[in-house]
Amino acid sequence: MSLKVEIELTLNGATARASVPAHWSALTALRQTFDLAGAKLACGEGECGSCTVIVDGESVNSCLMPAVDLNGRTVRTVEGLWTDDGVDPVQRAFIEKGAVQCGFCTPGMIMQARYLLDRNSDITDAEIRRGLEGNVCRCTGYTKIVDAVITAARAAA
Amino acid sequence: MSETASQAVPRIEAYYAPTSLEEAVEQIAAGDVAIVAGGTDLMVTANGALRRIKRGLMNIRHVPGLDGIAETGGRIRIGALATMTDILESDLLRAKAPILPATADRFASVQIRNAASVGGNIANASPAADMVIPLLCLDAEVELASWKDGAVSTRTLPITDYFTGPGKSKREAGELITAVEFDAQGAGGHAAFFKTGPRPALEIAIVSMGFMARIDGGTLSDIRIAFGAVAPTPIRAPETEKLLDGQTLDDDLIARALESADTEIKPIDDVRGTAWYRRRLARVYLEEELRNVLEG
Amino acid sequence: MSKVIEKDILVGTRVPKMDAPDKATGRTRYVNDMVLPRMLVAKILRTDRVHAKILRIDTSKARALPGVHAVITADDTPQFGIGVLKDNPPLKKDKVRCIRDEIAAVAAETEDICDEALALIEVEYEDLPPVFDCTEALAEGAPVIHEDRPDNIAMVNEFSSGDIARAEAESDHIVEGDYNVHYVTHCNMGVSCAVADVDYDGKVTLYSQTQYPFIMKMDIAPSLGVHPGDIRIIQPPVGGAFGSKLDVYPYEPICVFLAQKTRRPVKLIFSRSEEFIASPTRQPVEFKIRAGMKADGTLTFRDIDTLLNNGGYTSWGATTPYVTMRTCSSHYRVPDIKYRARAVYTNNPFAGSFRGYGNVQATWAIETHMDRMAEVAGLDPLEFRLKNANESGDVSPQGSKLNNIDLKGCLQIAADKSDFLKKWAEYKEGWNKPGRYKRGIGIAASLHNAGGAKIHKSDGCGTILKMDDYARVTVITGASDIGQGIDTVIAQLVAEELGIPVRDVTLVMNDSATGPWDVGVHASRTTYIAGNSAKRAALKAKEQILRGAAKQSNLTWEQLDLRGGHVVQADNGEAIIPLDRLLRQMHFAGQDAELVMVTDYYEPPSEPEDENHVGDMSAAYSHAAQVTEVTVDTFTGEVKIDQIWWVQDVGKVINLTTLEGQVEGGIAMGLGYGLSENLKIENGIVKNPFFRDYHVFTAPEMPPIDMTFIETLDEEGPAGAKGIAELPTIVPAPSIGNAVYNATGVRIYHPPLSPETVARALFDADAGKAMAAE
Repeated sequence: MSLKVEIELTLNGATARASVPAHWSALTALRQTFDLAGAKLACGEGECGSCTVIVDGESVNSCLMPAVDLNGRTVRTVEGLWTDDGVDPVQRAFIEKGAVQCGFCTPGMIMQARYLLDRNSDITDAEIRRGLEGNVCRCTGYTKIVDAVITAARAAA
Repeated sequence: MSETASQAVPRIEAYYAPTSLEEAVEQIAAGDVAIVAGGTDLMVTANGALRRIKRGLMNIRHVPGLDGIAETGGRIRIGALATMTDILESDLLRAKAPILPATADRFASVQIRNAASVGGNIANASPAADMVIPLLCLDAEVELASWKDGAVSTRTLPITDYFTGPGKSKREAGELITAVEFDAQGAGGHAAFFKTGPRPALEIAIVSMGFMARIDGGTLSDIRIAFGAVAPTPIRAPETEKLLDGQTLDDDLIARALESADTEIKPIDDVRGTAWYRRRLARVYLEEELRNVLEG
Repeated sequence: MSKVIEKDILVGTRVPKMDAPDKATGRTRYVNDMVLPRMLVAKILRTDRVHAKILRIDTSKARALPGVHAVITADDTPQFGIGVLKDNPPLKKDKVRCIRDEIAAVAAETEDICDEALALIEVEYEDLPPVFDCTEALAEGAPVIHEDRPDNIAMVNEFSSGDIARAEAESDHIVEGDYNVHYVTHCNMGVSCAVADVDYDGKVTLYSQTQYPFIMKMDIAPSLGVHPGDIRIIQPPVGGAFGSKLDVYPYEPICVFLAQKTRRPVKLIFSRSEEFIASPTRQPVEFKIRAGMKADGTLTFRDIDTLLNNGGYTSWGATTPYVTMRTCSSHYRVPDIKYRARAVYTNNPFAGSFRGYGNVQATWAIETHMDRMAEVAGLDPLEFRLKNANESGDVSPQGSKLNNIDLKGCLQIAADKSDFLKKWAEYKEGWNKPGRYKRGIGIAASLHNAGGAKIHKSDGCGTILKMDDYARVTVITGASDIGQGIDTVIAQLVAEELGIPVRDVTLVMNDSATGPWDVGVHASRTTYIAGNSAKRAALKAKEQILRGAAKQSNLTWEQLDLRGGHVVQADNGEAIIPLDRLLRQMHFAGQDAELVMVTDYYEPPSEPEDENHVGDMSAAYSHAAQVTEVTVDTFTGEVKIDQIWWVQDVGKVINLTTLEGQVEGGIAMGLGYGLSENLKIENGIVKNPFFRDYHVFTAPEMPPIDMTFIETLDEEGPAGAKGIAELPTIVPAPSIGNAVYNATGVRIYHPPLSPETVARALFDADAGKAMAAE
């Protein structure tokens, strides 16, 4: 077995500590060590976006990030978007606009949408589509997802 | 013996997170470490875990001086840890080397751009590495650091002479890519980046092309043409550059340039495209670009 | 004056999917996320040969590895085949027949240990000569894939109606064509995964992604050596299925074997590349079509011969001719039909069922051929189709009673909204004009079963419905949800009948122990069949409630209705009693006590095909038409979809949001089939088992879709609805091919229209023209 490495991070607003095998991805640590199964393993190669989380304000494929590199970082996952203020406007829009079918891509899609809106609340349809290019959905054809992101952007404006 | 089950099971016995360049290269010199920055290439082909891994894993993210994009003394320096997003959003590069942000815009997905580093894209030495194309056009130099006689030693290699084959380069085992540098002078002229695919970016190039030139009236000079995925390494097309240098474009010259470029590329058939199609695309891109220039 | 309550209409509105909140907040746990106490993980060792004798398997080193709990091979398991022809034993004993073949499996404490153990298993082979091509496999002396089938023919399906020779003689034009459709795969975002648990009594609980839990019990039982009654199938939420899980595949029995062996829960999960290599594909088909018509364009006959590359084993891909045949015989009026399909064993991977089934393939061939015939007839593509379009009342040669259909409406609306004829004529003028970018517009349509498909002895679905003391409803349905939203559709239908909010309906489903029998989620049937059963159950409950209310009223139960959580007087909506109070009164009524608890089993009025493939196999049929406008980059071959106009006969809209979602998602899949998706298999090996080289559509590529839904109000369907989910995947590809032809004058016969394919076709056509000119 691999060496285990101590990590400490801010995870959805709280300090989290764990000892993780050095060969693990951040995704595996989030799912197995921290029981945050929202982010999904769907390709393991950074090609589908199902594992997207926000690290230090940047969206990343957590399947490509070494778990040891979580040390000292600030991480938001889909579970962290439902706060005392209620669910995130992106989550609400996904629910109401029909952007969810099987839902397997949804947590990654929502985190990427959250990131896009954090960077640019006045976002266009084309910018959303480019921004979601790394997130594969096999169910929806993306139309309702884009609609939901625009709806969330307007709700926040 | 089964060949399907050849995946090595990862065993990492040491983890290093150096906080100085000295510490990093000294450890690399000691050997058998895999270097991780963005993780995007190291972790690819992984499935929830690292696969192609060495005994030790080194995270160089905390090494100072490896990030940032800055101009000093007429040279633009991009730290090895600079991400594709850093390049895409750099005001300095947009103003002075626009081919770099133009390429970053076509690089994989947002999530990958947020993680993938310039150093990693060079280290991977893929024949289709997008970011290498503009660096070839810019005549960039790759800065390598190593541990020699108890101190950090650096050398630079021109990127045009850096790659030796798919996944192979002149970087030696103990060396760490610390930066790429190029002259700001000449980096700001006419520039364009082309890449195949109906999807804007999330595609490994069947063919990519970078083009830079100074255009004076109708005359071209300081021409740099680079192609990706048409040879064992990303390449420049020096004969075609020479052919065009100091000339004024017309239909005949364009036709000769296309023929010239066709002799300079050595594409192969693979799962993404045939050699025939790669030749066709290289020709289409170069012709499109030359006509763009011709028509202003 | 008591208050007046209007009826709440839920059918036809936009009700958010009931499972969306959990999915959007990361609370949903999929099969892939499951963890059970003491659970082990498992992996399969697959062969790296395409055709070979297994000489020796040595698992001793793997067994000795610490953390390994079981290593199994064929020697440890019953040798009973699974699949349509039972020709696929879960673990292979004597030989391997394709690249995905299962040799051994390991259960261990971690995935890493599994990987290490797999690497320690030694297998010795003797390679056998392989064959990958159907025609070569049919030739004399070809390598034999299954020794009990020396001719390599897995299955033959034939249909014949009328007299082709006479029809040929009476035809003014005969048009021939070959159309080869390729391998694609489902790309479910959730990779294949199962969790098995076995109790001391040998009873099996299988957490499965299956789409057919009840029949699966019967299908999997013999391979396990377990009585089907001792198998419970639980279907936690799945990351897509699209037809991929309508058969038993080796990984599920293997997972159960390991649970039996270790007496612990076992979870088996694929990697993404394993998913590309070792899950079923869409059936590839080689079509040879001869079709005739009169001088005026009236179709006379179709003579269609097809070869299906069956791969090493027989799953549902081999049976796709059941649907392909129906499109060939019943899409447009064609008096005389001859159809043959031969599924031929090769050393390729094998195909299963996939959204649209054999109709995606059939529609590519038929609708491309129709476009070519229109040109020969000198008619535009719309007029030619309208001339031959079926109309309500037609009975097709295979016995499909095409009642209450509107193919002409679908075609005409799509053409009108897109200004098809004007653009079509204009773009055709561009063929010989210079220019890099050319625009084109194409049309296609298809027919699909929309009221289930009676391929089993029953095509039914059961419902158990109960109400509690608070007027909350629990609906236990046999239907399976795979993300399409049948829970929400059922809740809408039930809530509307019972006059309560949708949120007061709880669905209990996806467990064979609680749910009453259902065929499974396939064939665009679930809204129609399960929806009907749920609606009928709700009507029974409603009658029971209203009879209860009538006892304390001077009105008869027929004069009462349920609205807004109350019993009301039907004619004026005046509230009589709150529903929850009435239910409590009925419940706590001493010896007269009654609970509202009803059941229903709905069997649609369809009939199985007879031995000649004749029978009205669906309770309803519907059509859709698509017009696609494209821009072709004639230099690079890239085809950009500019706009789609979609028109579909849906019977009746139940949930506009989920309907649009099915159409948009189906079209995305259909566009992928036509343009970009291609599982490249060379010499039996999958060459591109990654998303980066497989090319499912991404957000920036999706064009705008203008959707029109025709409501024909099916007499039998719930609220008039028909099944809708497959046509959107079926129709897109040929409309693209026809549009590219309209843009360039170059016809592409074999999808996908990838940039290189289009570039090559245009290049070859130019070279051909240049040669002709010399």
